[in-house]
Amino acid sequence: MRGRATRRLVTAGRNGLRGFWAAPLVSAVSISTMAAGLLVLGAYLLFVGNMRSVLEEFGSDIRLVAFTPEGAELPPEGAAALARDLVGVTGVAAVRFVSSDEALERLRGELGGDAAILEGLERNPLPASFELEIEAGGRSPAALEAIAQSIGQLRGIAEVRYGEEWVESYALFVRVAEWLGLGLGVFLAIVLGAIVSGTVRLTVHARSDEIQIQRLVGAGGLFIRLPFYLEGALQGGTAAGLAILLLYGVWSLGLPIVVEPLEFLLGPRAPEFFGPAQVLTLVLFGVGLGCAGAIVSLLRLEERP
Amino acid sequence: MIQLYHIELRYDGGIRALRDVSLAVDRGEFVFLTGSSGAGKTSLLRLLFAAERPTAGQLLVAGRNISRIKAAQIPRLRREIGVIFQDFKLLMDRTVHENVAVPLEIAGASRRETRTRVWSTLKRLGLGHRLDHRPRALSGGEQQRVAIARALVTDPPLLLADEPTGNLDPELARDIMDIIADANARGTTVIVATHDPSLLARYRHRLLELSEGRLVRDALPRGLASREVVGQF
Repeated sequence: MRGRATRRLVTAGRNGLRGFWAAPLVSAVSISTMAAGLLVLGAYLLFVGNMRSVLEEFGSDIRLVAFTPEGAELPPEGAAALARDLVGVTGVAAVRFVSSDEALERLRGELGGDAAILEGLERNPLPASFELEIEAGGRSPAALEAIAQSIGQLRGIAEVRYGEEWVESYALFVRVAEWLGLGLGVFLAIVLGAIVSGTVRLTVHARSDEIQIQRLVGAGGLFIRLPFYLEGALQGGTAAGLAILLLYGVWSLGLPIVVEPLEFLLGPRAPEFFGPAQVLTLVLFGVGLGCAGAIVSLLRLEERP
Repeated sequence: MIQLYHIELRYDGGIRALRDVSLAVDRGEFVFLTGSSGAGKTSLLRLLFAAERPTAGQLLVAGRNISRIKAAQIPRLRREIGVIFQDFKLLMDRTVHENVAVPLEIAGASRRETRTRVWSTLKRLGLGHRLDHRPRALSGGEQQRVAIARALVTDPPLLLADEPTGNLDPELARDIMDIIADANARGTTVIVATHDPSLLARYRHRLLELSEGRLVRDALPRGLASREVVGQF
């Protein structure tokens, strides 16, 4: 009995492959249309992926600086204890102590030729401080404000500063990029799903006689539906593979041309193509999309007696 | 094998295809279903393989109540019924072998079993040399025999034939009927819908006659053992 069920599945799978090859023109049109859509999606994901890396780099530059009281002496053991307290604050990834001498040295370096104006100082006016690196999840304006408030309450900290305006602009940019990405992703998924659904519906229509005959001689729902699911999955997977190949070709040929003009946007780091995991995800997305399209297009078939 | 109790069938639009039809067909019987065009013959056959559901009444086929059967149980029922359609319903892009193999594939038969059964059935029907041909390359009579082979290849307990000789010349029609009679002789219950009087005269079996959706005659030919008979012919 189990053997018969397996053989039925094998036959249904074979029928799916047969359907894939039986109407090569329909399959080719469907695959190329889907590949074009997935190419746009892939190009967009590549752009967003590289932009995200750039934004991550910008984000990692966000520093929160906690100053000790001006003129107060902070012995090394006191600095170490305070650093431990700071690391314990939620959202703080790392702490670096900057002594008042080191701060003065930095200022001297920044002033360069004008450093001579510091010579007249009777004492070092710069307070010691702690530079705090913030975890990726704590870089929103609200999270930074919360961290700053927690730190401001620690004994030994006089003032906390971070570039509020810069952080807000950065957060807005990230938010807009994410919403734009989500919107485009959903739009493309709907368009591609509709393409597959339409193609499978065409195939179902072209094979309506076969479906009718199969039903009349005792085929169950899965035996009839499975070939179409498989066909949709094959078309989606092939289209995704084709889109990735085309994208890689365009990437390899076009990158040297565009990398220089886009350096202002992408920064000095070289843009990266999809890794193996992302390629697999995109292919699986194509397969899933093909299956979903087939399922949607067969919903009405299910309702027939 | 088949029992109908006060069956009504009404299509969308209010057309009454069957009205208060009650009858029973025993296992192994050969029954002709006759009547003029539109009398309800095809509708009755469609009820028997659950392509339609009765609007009222109870219908039992092979122990299953078609009036209440769940959609998921219909495929299993149909695997026990061979159906020969007037328009053959063959897959034109498949070979004769592939067409006849469809019910076996659906039943999950092994490749060897499928090959053996398809071959022996087609050979019995005189089509052993046509295995790899496509239906378009066959004559009307040969196409009808392929359709019969597909209906018989699983040795179904019930065979339904809708005007199986409708488009064939008398000699071919006789061949087809002989094949169906042979299946009946091997134990298959057979119901043949026809309005061809020559067939009814030649093959003397129980006769059910429909007129405007009503069963107007249920008769056995003279000389056959009597059952609940409405008339004789």
